[in-house]
Amino acid sequence: MSERTAAGEIDTDVLVVGAGIAGLQAALDLADQGNRVLLVEREASIGGRMIALSKVFPTMDCSSCITTPKMSSAAHHELVTTFTYTDVGSVEPAGRGFEATIVRRPRYVDEEACIGCRLCEYACPVDVPHEFDGGLGARRAVYIPFGTAIPQKAVVDLPNCILCGKCEKACPTDAIDFLQEPETITVRARAVVLTTGYRPTPTGAKKEYGAGRISNVIGGLDMERLLSPNGPYGRVLRPSDGKVPENIAYVQCAGSRDETLGVPYCSRVCCMYAVKQAMLLSGSLPVADITIYYMDIRAFGKGYEEFFQTARSMGINFVKAKVARIHERPDGDLDLRVELEEDDGRVEDVTHDLVVLSVGLQPGDDVRRFAPVSTDAYGFVRSADPALDATATDVPGLFAAGTALAPKDIVDTVAEASAVAMRVAAYLRETATPAGELVGVAHG
Amino acid sequence: MDEQGVPRRIGVYVCHCGGNISDVVDVETVTDRAGADEDVVIARHLPFMCSDEGQTTIEKDIAELGLDRVVVAACTPSLHETTFRRTVSRAGLNAYLYQHANIREQVSWAHVHDHAAATEKAARVVQAAIAKAASLHELDMVRVAAVHRALVVGGGVAGLRAALDLARFGMEVVLVERSKVLGGHTLRLGRTYPTEEPGRALVERLAAAVRAEPLVDVRLSTEVTGVSGYVGDFQVTLHSVAPSGNGSAGSDEVEVGAIVLATGFRDYEPAAGEYGFGGPGVVTLAAFQERLYAEEPDGDLAAALGMQGPVRAVAFLHCVGSRQAEGIDGGDGELNTYCSRVCCTASVRAAAETRRRFPDVRVVDVFRDIRTYARDQEDAYRAAGQAGVLFVRLPNDERARVETAAAEDPYPLLVRARDSLTFGAELELPVDVVVLATGMEPGGADALVAATKAPTGADGFLLEVHPKLRPVESATPGILLAGTARGPMDITESTTSASAAAAKVATLLARDQVEMEPFVAKVDPSRCSGNGACVSACPYAGAIGLQELELEDGVVEQRAYVNPVACKGCGACVAVCPNGAIDVQGWEIPQYVAMVDAITADDATPVPVGAGTEAGSS
Repeated sequence: MSERTAAGEIDTDVLVVGAGIAGLQAALDLADQGNRVLLVEREASIGGRMIALSKVFPTMDCSSCITTPKMSSAAHHELVTTFTYTDVGSVEPAGRGFEATIVRRPRYVDEEACIGCRLCEYACPVDVPHEFDGGLGARRAVYIPFGTAIPQKAVVDLPNCILCGKCEKACPTDAIDFLQEPETITVRARAVVLTTGYRPTPTGAKKEYGAGRISNVIGGLDMERLLSPNGPYGRVLRPSDGKVPENIAYVQCAGSRDETLGVPYCSRVCCMYAVKQAMLLSGSLPVADITIYYMDIRAFGKGYEEFFQTARSMGINFVKAKVARIHERPDGDLDLRVELEEDDGRVEDVTHDLVVLSVGLQPGDDVRRFAPVSTDAYGFVRSADPALDATATDVPGLFAAGTALAPKDIVDTVAEASAVAMRVAAYLRETATPAGELVGVAHG
Repeated sequence: MDEQGVPRRIGVYVCHCGGNISDVVDVETVTDRAGADEDVVIARHLPFMCSDEGQTTIEKDIAELGLDRVVVAACTPSLHETTFRRTVSRAGLNAYLYQHANIREQVSWAHVHDHAAATEKAARVVQAAIAKAASLHELDMVRVAAVHRALVVGGGVAGLRAALDLARFGMEVVLVERSKVLGGHTLRLGRTYPTEEPGRALVERLAAAVRAEPLVDVRLSTEVTGVSGYVGDFQVTLHSVAPSGNGSAGSDEVEVGAIVLATGFRDYEPAAGEYGFGGPGVVTLAAFQERLYAEEPDGDLAAALGMQGPVRAVAFLHCVGSRQAEGIDGGDGELNTYCSRVCCTASVRAAAETRRRFPDVRVVDVFRDIRTYARDQEDAYRAAGQAGVLFVRLPNDERARVETAAAEDPYPLLVRARDSLTFGAELELPVDVVVLATGMEPGGADALVAATKAPTGADGFLLEVHPKLRPVESATPGILLAGTARGPMDITESTTSASAAAAKVATLLARDQVEMEPFVAKVDPSRCSGNGACVSACPYAGAIGLQELELEDGVVEQRAYVNPVACKGCGACVAVCPNGAIDVQGWEIPQYVAMVDAITADDATPVPVGAGTEAGSS
């Protein structure tokens, strides 16, 4: 266990910032090698983006089934301490490692006392769009983040709370505590790993695609929720009127390879998740037509090309074209102006009843706000030695992994998370003398 | 009941999973029916069994009610079986006196719309688990002393990276390289992505770091000729053609706890005539790059390529030996259906470089999809366009053709391609040189791979256990996969996967003992007739064999024995034994029978298809 040396102070070997799949895997590997890990997460549950996904390519496993065991292992590992709802204020080299300031935001629920019974949630009269479901479903103002959340502890969304007190009355363990204050903790760690992940490029980024104001134009992550067994509707329905979609379009590179948005890079996962979603949709909506408008299908990973070819043979319609604009019709259907890059190159006007924007990946956090690392023009953490030591930053002892470094899929993220654990473990050993005294060594 | 007919003292715990189960399954009914079993002392249902509250309840019941077996009915065992084994273990019970029943994935999630049938199925699944629990025995984990030394096979960037990481972690490493030099394919790369560092310099940097580590024993000109043993204790035979490291020429044996396979890839070798290969002016990308980067900017490209005539136009063709499709690509009969991942970026970079160094040379790049997927690679693609590379996009199921031009034509080669960027125009591209962007192929270490029993996938590359859960582990415990042995990767991805493989070795060997689940075969010598059917059926080397055993009457006969370390518990031997003398511990045939009996005890109500508890593993 990371040790509390005094009130408001914690000593640990490694501070891992971000408990998505990269942070979880890195923390588990480090802990399995005997290191103490403090894993901090901004959200109310660990699990990151992956726990919200439906099934994952190319194996088509249910995403929960892969993520929850890692979440559970991290939460129960005796060498891993997990803080959710926690922000990192600063990370600075200090003495024999780093000193970090972290702030545990108030949940307004006593984590020790809460038993996750959800009686508060059932009592709460306030409905709020649920972020976890991309706003397509609703939650209460006091709520357990989602069914497989860890910890299964309620959190009060104070800005939306009407302070009616019903949750307090309903709670069988008196866990609701509106007087909670933020808790600032000083963490001393010998190494730090940034696994701050990504956020999707906003669906409203392009005005040609409705600037986020057309309800039947949704993002790829929203479709993940619609396809999930525990999704907002329990099935795939279009948001505007609950109609079962029959003619779905995917617009690729909607927020990637697009210099006008300042995202000129390829986001690396969108081709594959679109192909995967199209395959899942052909299973759940067998009569629906599915068209993917694309520039290049980048099925580069192991088994991905075969996956793409399977999708083609299933009758999913791949059209090399650019979608110039999307207009909403009064009935909720969508008119797309499509510039074909095949056949005779004509411009076509086509109608679909649901459009999925294959949004890209941007950095999940501005790490320079709290850590002394350098980033590239887009805010991704820069590797000190990209070819040979991709997870090392330009600060010795400060490492990064996963989509904090650049867009990448889960397969590559998990491998990189294990890699960073190895590099950190070696660094910890190299900077410790046999007597436990620490010495400075050249980084590399 | 136990063998003497005394009732067991089983505790049964039914989880609501916060509504995931209880919204569909009537957990009270399931609990009541479990409680009615004569072997059950206590049956409870709670919101979250995996929570601290749930686990504490179990521990308290074991202490206060003297439970001797525990059943939890909850989610899939792959999530929380280990959690509850630890729980019962903390309370002083053998961890294998625990039985898990899956009533979420296999019941509540599968039968959302039929609550009554789901409840009935859940009740029977739980009853089956109780029946199995009643016949469980105490088991101990299989433990092997770990040798704190690793073998890394392959001295390319992946092998070097893995060896360096392990040495820095404090572990002894034997690094074996078949050739005379370290560095592998990277040595030939004039400029590497993404830093433009020459391949040779990059290798030198890494190799120097490895050589500086006293814990790494580098053996050049050495091959692995034999592997025996198991995780924690492999015996590896090395054969050297020249003395190097701590080894002399000839064979010697090393003992290691784990093996990292960093055996790399082979370049795809086009067949004679494939896109004109073998004829003048047609070269592979690897060969072209080597010459291109060796040549000075104002040098003569034709001379560098060893060609007679001038080089005025070059065509790059993508996906040679990759993304092959039935009925379209001939090749050698075996199709490489996979994408080789690195050739797009390498091609656009080489195409741009050709234009930059030799501005008078026209460059055309013929592709199906440009897969410059990593962040700066898209910049390289854009830069190639800006450098004046002409891109031609083939329709998905079409290929370019390379023809020898007629003698009177000004250019010796003609590339024909249909271009979807110019709306399907049939193009004839006269060129002097055709560069084939050949992909990666598996292989180069077939005998070694066979010796380690590491499985390969349909693409021929080494197969990981699970691309997300265990991406650098092979199905053979203690055999890890690094770099392109697992599939096409670039240098960054290779070294990253190598560090990941090193991490798994470090975790495995950091302790003095390697621990494994006890679900392995066990022979009852009194029923074994020594006919050896099990030995032939066993797919794992050294897991089961015959040995001479002196029977009570002094007669010596052959009897089967199991090596629990090598056995994977697959049960192939159980199925073929004519005498019922073998069983898999923890999953014995009488236990299955008890479960089936419990499920079918009363067939008045039809049970949804698929009833049963999931085979547990962790």
